[in-house]
Amino acid sequence: MSVLNRITAFLQRHPFIVLILPIGLVGYFVYGGLLWNLWVSVSDWAGLRPSYSFGGFSQYAKLLSDPVFWVSLKNTLLLFSMIPICIVLGTLIAMALDQGLRGSTIFRNLYLLPFALSFVVTGTIWAWMYNPSNGIINTALRAIGLGSLQGLWHTSQSTVMASIIGALVWQFSGYTALIMLGGIRSVPEVQIRAAMLEGASKLRIYRRVILPQLKAPMATAVVIIMMYALRSFDFIWVLTGGGPGYASHTLPIMMYKETFQATQFAYGSAISAVLLGMVLLVVVPYVYRTYRR
Amino acid sequence: MNDNKYGLSADRQLTRWLIYLVLFALAGFYLLPLWGAVTTSLKTQEEVDMTNPLSFPRAITGDAYVEAFDFLKRPLLNSLLITLGGTLGSVGLASMCGYVLSKFRFKFDNLIFLLITVGIFLPFQAILIPLFQTIRGLGLYDTLFGLILAHVAYGIPMCTLMFRAFYGELPTSLVNQAMTDGSGPWRTYWRIVLPSTKIAMVTVVIFQFTSIWNELLFGLVIGGPRAMPATVALNSLTGTLAAQWNVQMAGSVWVGLPVLVLYIVLGRYLIRGYMAGSVTAT
Repeated sequence: MSVLNRITAFLQRHPFIVLILPIGLVGYFVYGGLLWNLWVSVSDWAGLRPSYSFGGFSQYAKLLSDPVFWVSLKNTLLLFSMIPICIVLGTLIAMALDQGLRGSTIFRNLYLLPFALSFVVTGTIWAWMYNPSNGIINTALRAIGLGSLQGLWHTSQSTVMASIIGALVWQFSGYTALIMLGGIRSVPEVQIRAAMLEGASKLRIYRRVILPQLKAPMATAVVIIMMYALRSFDFIWVLTGGGPGYASHTLPIMMYKETFQATQFAYGSAISAVLLGMVLLVVVPYVYRTYRR
Repeated sequence: MNDNKYGLSADRQLTRWLIYLVLFALAGFYLLPLWGAVTTSLKTQEEVDMTNPLSFPRAITGDAYVEAFDFLKRPLLNSLLITLGGTLGSVGLASMCGYVLSKFRFKFDNLIFLLITVGIFLPFQAILIPLFQTIRGLGLYDTLFGLILAHVAYGIPMCTLMFRAFYGELPTSLVNQAMTDGSGPWRTYWRIVLPSTKIAMVTVVIFQFTSIWNELLFGLVIGGPRAMPATVALNSLTGTLAAQWNVQMAGSVWVGLPVLVLYIVLGRYLIRGYMAGSVTAT
């Protein structure tokens, strides 16, 4: 009992000591993990047993001469092409949702539904959509007389990345619309009223008053989708497993395969170190701008 | 502005209908794949091979659901336990963090907040090997607790960010009042802060529940055959039954169902969570 009292008294004097647990977890698993991983990438760990002696930068050199790395890097950057598509589509959708029409909220919720689902679920569904023999895409093309446009989609080296990007636009554009809608709604109503009083048309108000003020939500959407693209694993893993061949390898896919299938731990950690560098290039300026205030 | 007193002008009426047309077309775009998944899951394999993927099943059958459930039942239970444990842990710890970081000033408070929340942007690949080694070292490989631990640790950053924003909206005077009345910070937290921020709690819980439920990578790396979550199992179902689309789609529905139900019942909280997750830029 007296132990409990002493603990209580201690906590009364140092009330924030309980934060040690969450801060410790984040400190160990995030920052400890990052440092540990960086060390693995320059260690001499070969094979299944961990080894932590310094092994030089050979993993990075190996990376630069590995064609799979360059394919994976190219594909990772290729995923960025969904950003402008999502932003344009999302902004247009947000404008349509902003007309105060009855049922707008229901439409918004419907558009956002794909984003709520697991990439594993949507990846499985898109494998069915793209399935060349009786999938929805090819069946629909045949039905509207465009049978000549039928394709092998995610099972062909030449169309696999486009297929992935198309499906991801489906999953992300509703979310982009939500962010842009939030931005449109936060434009002060006074400004819109003033423009209306001056006789500006609705389109003109959008162009001159609203769209220029959407820079912040746009930046948010860009960063979020970029972060997704750089970390893209789940969806691609389920839809293609990185194939056919290496055609849809991204850096996260390559990292997973090298580490946990080929058991090249040091090599895998070098890949993820490169990935970390790319993420920092995006995040540091964003966080700096966000937290400066 | 130029409406006549009988209602909308013909011009605006037309625009309205055009916008509705666009809204309905978009609804088709977003929902068609999901509709196709559901119709396919209710067909027999023969019908899947012979009919249009979007057509309504001629004879509705639940066989594919039974078969998929048979494969997924243990992983679904695993996922439920992992998700409940992971949500409880990360939300509980992050709520305390968010409270202290939003209502008290101390040395390095902003730095601590920054260091915690930057974890949101962490590419998991960059900690995967240390995570794998740690979990194995603790003897937690292929255990529910190992997966819960990972989800708690990596859930804290996002949840802390959300709680700090929500608690920031709570008047500080309320907290100070309770404190000067002699109740300590944690008594105040328990008696004042938590009861008056129930919506924030629901929002973060739903957000975190769906994120953990939907996750694949941790399950793949630190969950083996026994602690396998439903996402991993669905993915291996796809591998083993390559051509049986009805079973695969039924499996997708099983795995998507909890999130779908949450989305329908508590969608506005989930959407609030998505918004809160994106307003870091304000």
